[in-house]
Amino acid sequence: MTALTAPAPARSARAAVRNRHLAGLLTARGLTGLALVGTIALAGLLAPLLTGHDPDAQGPLALAGPSAEHPLGTDDLGRDLLSRVLHGITTDLALTFGAVPVGALTGCSLALLAATHRWADTAVQRAFDLVLAFPGLILALAVTAVLGPGRWPVFIVIALAEIPLFGRQLRSGILVQREREYALAARVGGASRARVLLRHVLPNAVDPLVVQTAVALSVGVFIEGAMSFLGLGVRPPEPTLGSILSQSVGYLATHPTFAAAPLAVTTALVLGFTLIAEALNRGIRR
Amino acid sequence: MTASPPRRTVLRVTDLTVTFDGATDGTSAVDGVGFELAAGDTLGLVGESGSGKSTTALALLHMLPAGGRITAGTVELAGQDLATLPESALRAVRGRRIAMVFQDPMSSLNPVLTIGRQLDEALRAHGTRPDKRERAARAVELLDLVGIPDAADRLRDHPHQFSGGQRQHVMIALALANDAEVLVADEPTTALDPTVQRQILRLLTRINRETGTALVVISHDLGVIAQTCRRLLVMRDGRVVESGGTADVLAEPRHPYTKQLLAAVPRLEAPSEAAANSVPGPEPLLTVTGLRKTYGSRRRAVTALDGVDLVLHPGETLGLVGESGSGKSTLARALVQAHAPSGGGIRFRGEEFGHGGERAARREVQLVFQDPYSSLNPRMTVGRIIAEPLIAHRLGDRPARARRVAELLEQVGLDPDSADRYPRAFSGGQRQRIGIARALAPEPSVLICDEPVSALDVSVQAQVLDLLARLQRELGLALLFIAHDLAVVRQVSHRIAVMHRGRIVETGPADRVVTAPEHPYTAELLAAVPRLDARPAALSTRSTA
Repeated sequence: MTALTAPAPARSARAAVRNRHLAGLLTARGLTGLALVGTIALAGLLAPLLTGHDPDAQGPLALAGPSAEHPLGTDDLGRDLLSRVLHGITTDLALTFGAVPVGALTGCSLALLAATHRWADTAVQRAFDLVLAFPGLILALAVTAVLGPGRWPVFIVIALAEIPLFGRQLRSGILVQREREYALAARVGGASRARVLLRHVLPNAVDPLVVQTAVALSVGVFIEGAMSFLGLGVRPPEPTLGSILSQSVGYLATHPTFAAAPLAVTTALVLGFTLIAEALNRGIRR
Repeated sequence: MTASPPRRTVLRVTDLTVTFDGATDGTSAVDGVGFELAAGDTLGLVGESGSGKSTTALALLHMLPAGGRITAGTVELAGQDLATLPESALRAVRGRRIAMVFQDPMSSLNPVLTIGRQLDEALRAHGTRPDKRERAARAVELLDLVGIPDAADRLRDHPHQFSGGQRQHVMIALALANDAEVLVADEPTTALDPTVQRQILRLLTRINRETGTALVVISHDLGVIAQTCRRLLVMRDGRVVESGGTADVLAEPRHPYTKQLLAAVPRLEAPSEAAANSVPGPEPLLTVTGLRKTYGSRRRAVTALDGVDLVLHPGETLGLVGESGSGKSTLARALVQAHAPSGGGIRFRGEEFGHGGERAARREVQLVFQDPYSSLNPRMTVGRIIAEPLIAHRLGDRPARARRVAELLEQVGLDPDSADRYPRAFSGGQRQRIGIARALAPEPSVLICDEPVSALDVSVQAQVLDLLARLQRELGLALLFIAHDLAVVRQVSHRIAVMHRGRIVETGPADRVVTAPEHPYTAELLAAVPRLDARPAALSTRSTA
């Protein structure tokens, strides 16, 4: 059938292109995600103002329930849980917001490298396969076995886990876009291969990466949680959401309030990022 | 056509109005369309893109895309109003009483199911044939009816084992599966080559005659309608501007839009206008000798170009015609050095490619693409798109480039202020002008136009052809004009080369090739062109002068 041209409202083309991501975010889904992540991030940043307790200071009251002094109660060593959770958020977000861009940039660079030559493509693809062949936790164990537990292994594992995801996403985008006629037009117009790739193909292939970033952030939070839970992550006494959860497991039956706060925050963060990713995805598909 | 006795009306559409959500200006995609269709009748809907002809067809069966609604009017099928029928009841009508054939036979068939299975599904859909063997027999009968050879054996074949034209035949067989009273064909031949188009149109006419199925053909091509339909509706902006007997409307159009539309259709009978436009120079500019191109591995090589010889003079338009797969586009891409040929040589200004000739050619041979949508980078402003070749060839600094872009936009008939807008803000014809401006940017001497007008409406097509002619006159360009529409090619070309299976089978002056073809394939191509005066009597008496 002929192309059906549903009368589209005449709008500035520039605004329409720019705002596809924004339009996606400004839906109920996107706003909920933003609100969740925003509230948690803000709480983490304002931690010193929101609570007067040192997250590492031990008190005489161990495993106390919520009270005026300790709104979320205390942990097994008598430390204020609210303070620990709030400071844990900062550690978590700093790790993921630091590691995800590193992974994303490395993955994208490798994808661009792969686009230059057939052999480079094969090499990069097999390298991605190698990383993907290890389940996330095995990778985490391997890295920690070499470097020992700590902040950097978590950072490296998050970045490493994201590299093939970003790399493959961008590679497939490039493969599609470079067969489009405008890429041929640019080449016929005299542009070099690098120029066609960077100026013409790449800008058209990055859309899905915005979505991928939001997914990656949620995965980052998840990986931190899992590694700290297993004792491979950031070393105590520094609080992270995962390590507080790990501590609380032993008391789950007797003191369920201990686990409630870190669990809720981790869930909300992952949910928030996922909602944002989903909203962005719907935005660019429209 | 002889006057037929009055027959019962099967389909009566009155005041049909369709609006899309979000149409802020309050316009309707279809606005008060009405027609009647008698049993065994044929009706053509003709109009340019956006005229609402496809939307009308889809509205008949409530198959409008998301956001579209029938806001007024009735669609009466044998007295029953379909516009108000619930979805479940409509399902019993779709395919059973009104069947549809779509444009793209490549994507309308399910690639993982055999043709027999798909026919069986269509036959089973309405539960009228419970017996499996009976259905299989009917499937063979249907394939026979649409002219697929060895029908019984081919039931086990998958769609990829059929050619594009055969797939459209199969689509028609599917549509006929339940003896529908009305067959709606929406641009049934637009994706097909002219010789295949002729087969499909003949098939539709034959089915109408033999089975008495009423036929609604939707097309942008007046020639297609003239060949298949006794009556036609001319649509524009969702309204019917003129209707009547096909022969009458074509002979004496009343509405100014119909007149304009008819005037814009290139006629095969019209002589070439190229000689009046420019005089080709004596020295060849571009010479192609024995050009070969094969794809794939050595064992399964596909030959796209099989020894092509071609000469292009300065200021000349060489028309290149041939069906899809004949190697036209491969040749165009070899000339702009998008790929390396497997054999043979190209010389530009007397210098061989690979010995210095390719460097000059890279700037002086430019390409205009067929698809004005995918050939412009959606992320770049028009100004940047046009400036790209200038940057690539290091021509001028930033202000000089901006001046050149404004000049080029003016040259192709666009507002110089449109440089900072994005391609999506422009219509198909305007986009094609942008593509031409980009090709002109590095001041080429040869413009390769790969089907530059086949994606455009006829009136827009005429404007773009005018533009190309003016540019040739003003800039002395040599044009290699690739197209499948012989009428267009004759109009614009000094000479015509006919391409078939990777070879040039005939080359000669444009008028001579059309009026006195030497190669049988050229004659076949010419015979397949749908003419506006389709009356068999008229065809035989009025031979080309």
